[in-house]
Amino acid sequence: MANKSGSIYGLTILSPVKDDPHAEISPSLAVRMYLQTLPVDGRGPFGRVSSTHMARLVVLDDVVYFGMPSCEEHLKSKYLIFESNFDGELEPYLKQLAAEASDEVHNIWQHCIGYPGVQNVDAFIAYMKRCQVETTFYFADVNNKTVQQTLQALQTQSAVASFIEKNQGKPSEELQPAFIEFMSRLNKAPRPKPGSTKGKELTDELL
Amino acid sequence: MSKLDITDIQGFALRGYNFPFARFLFLKISDKQKGRECIGRLVKYITTGERWDQGKPKTTVNIAFTYKGLVALGLPEPSLLSFPVEFVQGMKARGAILSDTGKNSPHHWDAVWEHEVHAWLGVFAQSQPDLEYQCSELLTLLQESGGATKIDSQDAGALQINGQITTKEHFGYTDGFGNPEFMGVEKDSQPGQGKLTADGKWTPLATGELLLEYADEAGELPVAPLPHLLASNGTFMVYRKLHQNVATFRKYLMEKGALYPGGTEKLASKFIGRWRDGTPVELSPSEPSPAIVGDKSRNVNFTFGNDLDGARCPVGAHVRRTNPRDAFGFNGKLINRRRISRRGMPYGPYTPEDQPGTDDEEHGMIFMALNASLFRQFEFVQQQWIEYGNDARQGNDKDILIGNHGGSGKVMIQGTTDPNNPPFLCGALPNFVELRGGDYFFVPSITALRMIAANSVDPR
Amino acid sequence: MSNIHGKAYAMNTVSPMKPWKTYILRLFFFIWRHYKPLGDGLVQLSFIHFARWVIVPRCAFPRLSEQQPKDDLQYDYLFFFSNFNGTWNQYIDAFSAVLFFGLNNIWRWSEKFPGSVPVTPFKSFIVRGQVETDYYYTAYPHATTNDVKAAHRVQAALGDFARQMEGMPPAKFADAYLQFLVKVQGDLGETGEAPVGT
Repeated sequence: MANKSGSIYGLTILSPVKDDPHAEISPSLAVRMYLQTLPVDGRGPFGRVSSTHMARLVVLDDVVYFGMPSCEEHLKSKYLIFESNFDGELEPYLKQLAAEASDEVHNIWQHCIGYPGVQNVDAFIAYMKRCQVETTFYFADVNNKTVQQTLQALQTQSAVASFIEKNQGKPSEELQPAFIEFMSRLNKAPRPKPGSTKGKELTDELL
Repeated sequence: MSKLDITDIQGFALRGYNFPFARFLFLKISDKQKGRECIGRLVKYITTGERWDQGKPKTTVNIAFTYKGLVALGLPEPSLLSFPVEFVQGMKARGAILSDTGKNSPHHWDAVWEHEVHAWLGVFAQSQPDLEYQCSELLTLLQESGGATKIDSQDAGALQINGQITTKEHFGYTDGFGNPEFMGVEKDSQPGQGKLTADGKWTPLATGELLLEYADEAGELPVAPLPHLLASNGTFMVYRKLHQNVATFRKYLMEKGALYPGGTEKLASKFIGRWRDGTPVELSPSEPSPAIVGDKSRNVNFTFGNDLDGARCPVGAHVRRTNPRDAFGFNGKLINRRRISRRGMPYGPYTPEDQPGTDDEEHGMIFMALNASLFRQFEFVQQQWIEYGNDARQGNDKDILIGNHGGSGKVMIQGTTDPNNPPFLCGALPNFVELRGGDYFFVPSITALRMIAANSVDPR
Repeated sequence: MSNIHGKAYAMNTVSPMKPWKTYILRLFFFIWRHYKPLGDGLVQLSFIHFARWVIVPRCAFPRLSEQQPKDDLQYDYLFFFSNFNGTWNQYIDAFSAVLFFGLNNIWRWSEKFPGSVPVTPFKSFIVRGQVETDYYYTAYPHATTNDVKAAHRVQAALGDFARQMEGMPPAKFADAYLQFLVKVQGDLGETGEAPVGT
């Protein structure tokens, strides 16, 4: 089915944004301003919704006019686009979103029409599904590895390169025990955190 | 395609002269009107692409301008603003893109680059006396015209080893292989210099990869200034003075070479992708081969399609990084717009191989390259293929030879299970090469020079 | 607000299509899903983590309440969302150079599409239709899709080697280790920051 590639789900949600002509700050501007305050790394909401590979939020002010002879037209509502690429199925993901990122979800979607809040998870899921549009064609380069598997692999890759460098040229009698020790440390290493840019430093510490 | 008028194109743009002595004069235009008159007088000295049927001249002279130089000569503003953005900004301002940071940052550049350099006057000569004579003549002209002064000059010259002129550079490698071929530009054709066709043959690149106002490899014209006549038959040059840390390089190679089972010379060949004598490693991975080096039909004629894992020529080897040929698939189509024509020349005296060498002496390579689009060609190669490795599937690893390593970073020399050709990791990489300055220059045609001199460049 | 997070770029474009043309595009995507020449090209270019095309027919923009004004659109809209590596120019240069056939078949149904070759008018078209991203998250910002794939290969090779090595006598270890090195030697590029956007 078009929303999935392998084990990865490509979610596309278009949530109509409220219009309030009397507001000092329009709802769409309020969303934008709030999004600007959110950390983009693991401290942000998607670091906690940890099955998220990549996700974005886009305030769509209007459709685009390309010039004559095409016709100029306009959307009557603005939309908040939520594009996410995550492991697994839709409902568990939306549940996790409501549970792990409830504050941020609320602060963003409260400006959208029909948003029922995050307290009632079923209502939230139903609302998001109403806003979902079918992904027509989805491409995922790596579509069979979870976020955690990928983070683990990246940690391993860095650790292996360091090991090779440190032990280059050692005779077999030294190399084998060093390798065994390395594997033991690697297996005990803390799980890498999503959204982090500290990978290399942590690997160096590890070894 | 239209036939090139080689008498309208500066010879330096079309080919390397292979003269062993050179001096590059950096000029400041002191006055608009006098500056233009000075250019008008210089035009007759400028070496064009005309054939040397009557024998080689003793010297050649070519000229190129920075954006600020064109401003100083009073080109009209709409014309100035139509130049490509990267040329207008100049190389110093593009440091973030080029990774000219740390040891390569402008803080460490030669003093001349603190000035506004307006023009580059390149003089090549067959002998030192010829060089002095020609330069003296030019300086007299400049003085008499009152239009430009020399701020500084840079000497360069082929390395002389035991009294012989060579094509070696300071790390001991033989240089000068593999410049691209362009349609319509006559030069000795060598298989391997152009682009690959679907059936594995070599054919020249589109003229517009070198010269402005000609179709390029993307099926359009490269970004060029207006009016057309100002741009036509011109090109852009990047000039970079690359200081070479000879002692650091020799020490590093020796230390790693002692650990590398294939030996020091083989390791040196793996860094570059050529043995020190120029033999391509891809064609002869186990030893240098004078037969191949001496054979023009072979010494640049190779591809990497059968060596995708880098066991013969490492994926990170310098020649492979700067010209991946077919290594990225698609018959080399992703490469064809990223080729540059090199005219580099060493500077400083040669240090014999049996000495450790120094890092402090003034020696290195004056890197000059010509391309129709600095942004799409030189800057792209520098940013994406030299200082970064993702296209080559090497992550953030940089080019081992000229990468701005800063003491960390690594390159993996791929190998096989053959004990003489094992995988070998070179880490804690120092800067073997440091940037000491440079800029972007416009190399106008003869027509354009005359227009500039006559102040007849229209805004449109 | 940034389109860029680490080594990934979040591109969003939107373009209008006459509704009758939408059927042809859907047919093309259907064929593409089952016969994969463009998919192979994308895999070989290897600089997209995830990408999707979304057709939103003119009546399908979500309307959640009677109070929300009803849209009255002439065009269907084609959205494109890409998570790619490299600079904007590099990305589009590459597409134009080697995937023009597939791109033309996707976007020729959009109004005012100039073709994906030559690249300059194509870039103008993309610029016109590009919408900036307000918030962008990636779980592995310092890794390109090449880095990710390489990492998985190293992980798999390490797992195999570790299993193979259990109980192995030291005399055999050196050879086995050398074979392991050869297996992973092309996949050990460091991860880190991206070159600056251009």
